[in-house]
Amino acid sequence: MEKTENVIEFDNVKFSYPGSDGIFAVNGVSLTVNRGEFISVIGHNGSGKSTLARLINGLLEADSGKITVLGLDVSEGKNPLEIRKHVGIVFQNPDNQMVASIVEDDVAFGPENIGVEREEIGRRIDWALKAVGMEEFRHSTPTRLSGGQKQRIAVAGVLAVKPDILILDESTAMLDPKGRREVIEVVQRLNKEEGMTVILITHFMEEALLADRTIVMNRGEIVLSGTPEEIFESGDKLETYNLCLPRITEIINTLNGAGMKIDNVLRPEQLSAQILENLSGRGITEAASSPVKKTEILCAHEWDIDVSDLTFTYSKKSPFATKALKGINLHIDEGEFFGIIGHTGSGKSTLVQHLNALIRLPQAQKRYRAKKAKKGQPAPVVPQITVGRFDLTNKKTDFKALRASVGMVFQYPEYQLFAESVFADVAFGLKNFNKNLKPEEVEQAVRESIEVVGLDYNGVKDKSPFDLSGGQKRRVAIAGVIVTKPQVLILDEPAAGLDPLGKKEIMELLHRLHREWCKTVIIVSHDMDEVAENCTKAAVISNGEVVKCDSPANLFSCGDELLALGLDVPLTSKISGELKKSGINILCDCTAEDFARKVIEVYEGGDNA
Amino acid sequence: MLNDVTFGQYYPTKSFVHRADPRIKLLALIAYIVALFLAKNFYAMAACVIVLIATVIASRVPFGSVLRSVKAIIFLLIFTAVLNLFFHGGEHLLVEWGIIKIYREGIIFTVFFVLRLFFLVMGSALLTLTTTPVELTDGIESLLTPLKWIRFPVHELALIMSIALRFIPTLIDETNRIISAQKARGADFESGNIFKRIKAIVPILIPLLISAFRRAEELGDAMDARCYSGSKNRTKYKKLKFGWRDIIITLLFAALITGVVLLNIYGNRIFPEIYEFIRLS
Repeated sequence: MEKTENVIEFDNVKFSYPGSDGIFAVNGVSLTVNRGEFISVIGHNGSGKSTLARLINGLLEADSGKITVLGLDVSEGKNPLEIRKHVGIVFQNPDNQMVASIVEDDVAFGPENIGVEREEIGRRIDWALKAVGMEEFRHSTPTRLSGGQKQRIAVAGVLAVKPDILILDESTAMLDPKGRREVIEVVQRLNKEEGMTVILITHFMEEALLADRTIVMNRGEIVLSGTPEEIFESGDKLETYNLCLPRITEIINTLNGAGMKIDNVLRPEQLSAQILENLSGRGITEAASSPVKKTEILCAHEWDIDVSDLTFTYSKKSPFATKALKGINLHIDEGEFFGIIGHTGSGKSTLVQHLNALIRLPQAQKRYRAKKAKKGQPAPVVPQITVGRFDLTNKKTDFKALRASVGMVFQYPEYQLFAESVFADVAFGLKNFNKNLKPEEVEQAVRESIEVVGLDYNGVKDKSPFDLSGGQKRRVAIAGVIVTKPQVLILDEPAAGLDPLGKKEIMELLHRLHREWCKTVIIVSHDMDEVAENCTKAAVISNGEVVKCDSPANLFSCGDELLALGLDVPLTSKISGELKKSGINILCDCTAEDFARKVIEVYEGGDNA
Repeated sequence: MLNDVTFGQYYPTKSFVHRADPRIKLLALIAYIVALFLAKNFYAMAACVIVLIATVIASRVPFGSVLRSVKAIIFLLIFTAVLNLFFHGGEHLLVEWGIIKIYREGIIFTVFFVLRLFFLVMGSALLTLTTTPVELTDGIESLLTPLKWIRFPVHELALIMSIALRFIPTLIDETNRIISAQKARGADFESGNIFKRIKAIVPILIPLLISAFRRAEELGDAMDARCYSGSKNRTKYKKLKFGWRDIIITLLFAALITGVVLLNIYGNRIFPEIYEFIRLS
């Protein structure tokens, strides 16, 4: 047998950031990593995962304890420089890791730094770009690539130094499912084929499952360590560490609770096989669950949204003109919790920016002149949008009033905070829209909206928004939008970049807003599970067109279509797809809860719904 | 709002000019500017104009794109032109209107002034339209290399420039996003007096600055992690090559300067009777 070699060794390492009042970001961590291992590290925001990565290559220096990497002590002299040649880190934001404006120049940066000969750099660029499958983009500009592609370039830039150890510090957090798959596939291949040691720090439980070993961090300590199966078996414990179970484990737990016997598996096809086994144990080989109950939304249709024939081109009349929207037709009823799904660049963000006239229809622009129809040809199609009583084709529409009624929360809204206090930031929008409010009225409205997003008004109102935690900042940003009591609330990727618990809490908040505050909530998302679990209806946008618009149950019943578009399907429809092949037809609304209920219903042989 | 920032955006074609050595292009631009300011009569100026037009044609960049870059300074151009026209002194008084006196010399000077500035900007734009930022910084770094002798941090300067260029599109995107987000919250950037408008910029500027600092920090970490430790022992992957195109360009601009000098000296022999009206006094 091959001798295992320790490539990384932590011995009771402690680290605290300056000014953190003696709170250790990493608190007494001991850890060994073997050559060729694939390790995943999970933990809530601020659990010390990223700090761990930075300690390994000496970007941060430990307060106490000893870190040895490839036999070198990180704290000694010039060792960090030597270690960095062998330990590559890929960070979260692909944009902030690129030094050069041309792909090959960027990949060359690392080898240039360590003084590699020119010809060898050329060979390394070839190799690294091939390893990440980006050879054809060698002479491209990174700014014009997708998130996944950019991140693969970042991986290539790290690979070109020829490291033995590859660390990914939440490198997939900002990517869409397709980009995430691309990056993870590259990493898996490097681990298997090149024998590279991989440390994958992630918020996505599904990614953590791919590793040989998973480490769970909580408040700077390693609290669990073992194979992914072992980790996720410990179920409830994870929740005390502010982590969520993977959806599949939740379903398994519910099913076992109803008397089924299912092992703790991690892949949808394994689970469907186990369900079939359980069912056939009861003699059930063919069955169908009760159909999905249709929940009709009763509403006044006063705030319906109608979009027809919407087209939009970026950088018109330039060599970089790109058609973002190619004729969108969409109707959104008042009262829906509506999902707009699509991968990066599909046009979904462009679409929603039309709904509050951030992008104005051509007819509503100052210098618009109607095109005349050419002889013998039908009149050119003109896009139309109405939102409630607002006609967005009309120049005279009160666009300010429209924006007060259609709230828009952008991606990473916390990056738009600017004021000196939370109060001032939240009041900003309110004062913009209505200049004649009395101070008491402003205070009342601000108080209500800060409270509805789940923050303590008196506790935060005078604080600087920049002193809050990431999740709190996002809540403040949302409060700053809903403070005008919009009828329609649009959120672009509201849960992006949050840890699992943060995601769950934000979605709960949106449901609360949907119930108590706004009539319609629209979320733009690329997370299929998020849409399946939360939305009443969703539209799939691909390549500037609406491919499908339906309830999640119907939308995801034909998963292959979505996969062909490079989109994912929710876990539940993956499992029910497998089951359907074997004659078990589970009709559910695609939430994990409903799916489990329907399986149990079939299992118990009851068809009395 | 910021989509009009087209000055100097690289226009990708594979023309003669695009493939020339950036160092030569930089030197050619300097030569061109020198020629513009050397030109003392319209013959010499015409030579400058012809050379520029020839270069634009050779670069296969549409004239519209090159002209658009002048748009940015059009107000400056008009404003200073008017001032010059009205207040430039001289001998041959043409119009007198209150304190405003227009002299023939003033008109000639103004026309020269406008032409110089106009073609200077066009020439610079042509450089950035035909040269990628990376090539440009490589060119500057290479041209400045002699300064290393006096311990001038040439490599660091070039790196700073290339990173700045690399982040311009990113920061423009970011600015647009922040503007949209604040507009969605009812911010108004288009009306009100100058003070109101300046105040309205605060909600854009602060998030932008914070984000720039955050990006800088992350970039610093990423560069450290990729073994950056200054210019010591550093190799360079890309080498600039001097080719036949560069010889042609060198000759062309050498000819231009010679031509301008000769036309300055001997211009008065071409049409002596009108020379008074086409030269700078």
